Amino acid sequence: MKVILNTGTSVIQAFYEKKGSTLKDEYRQAAAVAFMDINDMKKLSLNPRDKIKIKSDWGEVVVFVDKSHDAPHEGMIFLPKGPWANIVISPETYCCNVPTYKGVTAEISKTDEDVLLVSELMNKVYGKYNLKAEQLSDRPVYKKMGE
Amino acid sequence: MEKPITDYDEVVRNCSCSYCGNNCDDITYLLKDKEIVGVRHACRIGASKIINDKDQRLLNPMVRNSEGILEETTWDIALDKTAELLYNSVRPVLYGWGETSVEAIKKGIKIAEITGSVIDNQSTICHGSSIQAFQNVGHPVMTLGEVKNRADVIIYVGTNPMDDHPRHLSRYTTFPEGFFRRNGRKDRTIITLDPKYTNTAKVSDEWIQFNMNEDYLLFNALRMLLKGEKLDEKEIAGVPIERLENLVETMKNAEYGALFFGLGVSQTLAKQKNVDVLIQLVEDLNNYSKWSMLPMRGFFNVSGFNIALTSETGYPYGVDFSRGYPRFMVGETTTIDLLNRREPDFFMAVSADPGVQFPGYTIQHLVNIPTIQIDTHWGPYTELSDIVLPSTRVGVETEGTAYRMDSIPLFMKKVIDKPENCHSDEWILTRLYERLEQLKQMEDE
Repeated sequence: MKVILNTGTSVIQAFYEKKGSTLKDEYRQAAAVAFMDINDMKKLSLNPRDKIKIKSDWGEVVVFVDKSHDAPHEGMIFLPKGPWANIVISPETYCCNVPTYKGVTAEISKTDEDVLLVSELMNKVYGKYNLKAEQLSDRPVYKKMGE
Repeated sequence: MEKPITDYDEVVRNCSCSYCGNNCDDITYLLKDKEIVGVRHACRIGASKIINDKDQRLLNPMVRNSEGILEETTWDIALDKTAELLYNSVRPVLYGWGETSVEAIKKGIKIAEITGSVIDNQSTICHGSSIQAFQNVGHPVMTLGEVKNRADVIIYVGTNPMDDHPRHLSRYTTFPEGFFRRNGRKDRTIITLDPKYTNTAKVSDEWIQFNMNEDYLLFNALRMLLKGEKLDEKEIAGVPIERLENLVETMKNAEYGALFFGLGVSQTLAKQKNVDVLIQLVEDLNNYSKWSMLPMRGFFNVSGFNIALTSETGYPYGVDFSRGYPRFMVGETTTIDLLNRREPDFFMAVSADPGVQFPGYTIQHLVNIPTIQIDTHWGPYTELSDIVLPSTRVGVETEGTAYRMDSIPLFMKKVIDKPENCHSDEWILTRLYERLEQLKQMEDE
């Protein structure tokens, strides 16, 4: 289904982001959620906490879905800002330094794939250090001095 | 349901919150054994930042080893490496600064100058376009105190303060009793313009829903109606003309009107042009009544960076020192554009998380260049950082000055001791500056 993607702050996503627990499941549950109009959810037979894949010109990402409390906004989905939303938003600044965070067109479909934790997502999408699965966790992984 | 906190042995009043541009300075910290155990008066986001997640707190400097794992090291090694990488880079970018003190920002500007860096802050991705518009057409400015004491009509456009500036309505605009607004909420009319039925819209007297990316059209239509022009259309941006006419009437008849706008205006398609026309609308309204406006600035000192950089260099953000003197060109010397063009060969984020804030395509370039993080917590950007320097929290572990969204400077005090091996941004940047000076001297000799 074609949708317009809108990103921004949600109070619960900001709560965990500012708390600093971005690696943990609580942040994933708050930030990797697309809030949809109930009528759009029906069209794709989605229930709250089901998963969708969002595909835009810039990438694709799997997130949970939930019922929007701000409906009606059929044809528009809201994704809290964060590492998941970043993958699908447009970097186009039109020479105005602000990338296009709002109003990006995207295609969504139901999926069974997993919603990744931050460490898994950053490693899979950007692959800067190509770490192995056991080196990724919901806690900081680092070597202590003298170990 | 969480129980109220009763187990504390010290109360510290009048602390400043370090979350958003409201800079609430009436916060009370509850301490036990010199640790913060509770926060009073803050919103849930501010309180969460003050309490913070201790599992992800950065405590020691770290450098990536050959296996790609961060390894703890000494400050000397981490700072030497950072200085060397920065000194030897051709197009370094120093980004962030929204969540640190003006004192640290001043040091940052000195570093940018000595290394020929681009220095930029979060306004490049949020209200940068608003600042451009202020430069284009001016800024009918006000302070939040004026709004509290005088405003009877308050309009929120493309912003949802109930979610991202939670105390804005209760502390400054809507609910407080003011000198001329003795009955608080009852004396005020709140109108929200937003494509979404946001939490702010829910507590407003009126919610006007308009189509996304049609802000420019909508504001121009309002200007036309204000000037007494007739519109042929039945609706503009999805809003019936009658509603717009009523809105214009309410605005004209206000005793003191205050307009707040957010990223819903500055980040949608027409960007600074949206803000241009919104400013002109407010200017036109001043023919009938007193109106002024403010952008809803996000981080607690994002406005302070703009002010500090403007006073030092003449430009508000995205300043390029590569030619030895400051240059600013929108779309040319601004972070996202530089990264999209794959130009930088060094990237340092100070109290900011590009992993949370930048589009994926932009972040991809950070994979190919050395990346440094100066921050308090392990975040998405730490997963891409080569060197991590742990800093302290302003307003909690370090004192400093920050500017509120209406450009009022506020002192933020230190309340508890910092973790042993963490240092303030100002300390870190001073040491880095010293090292860079040494490198420069060595080369000159």
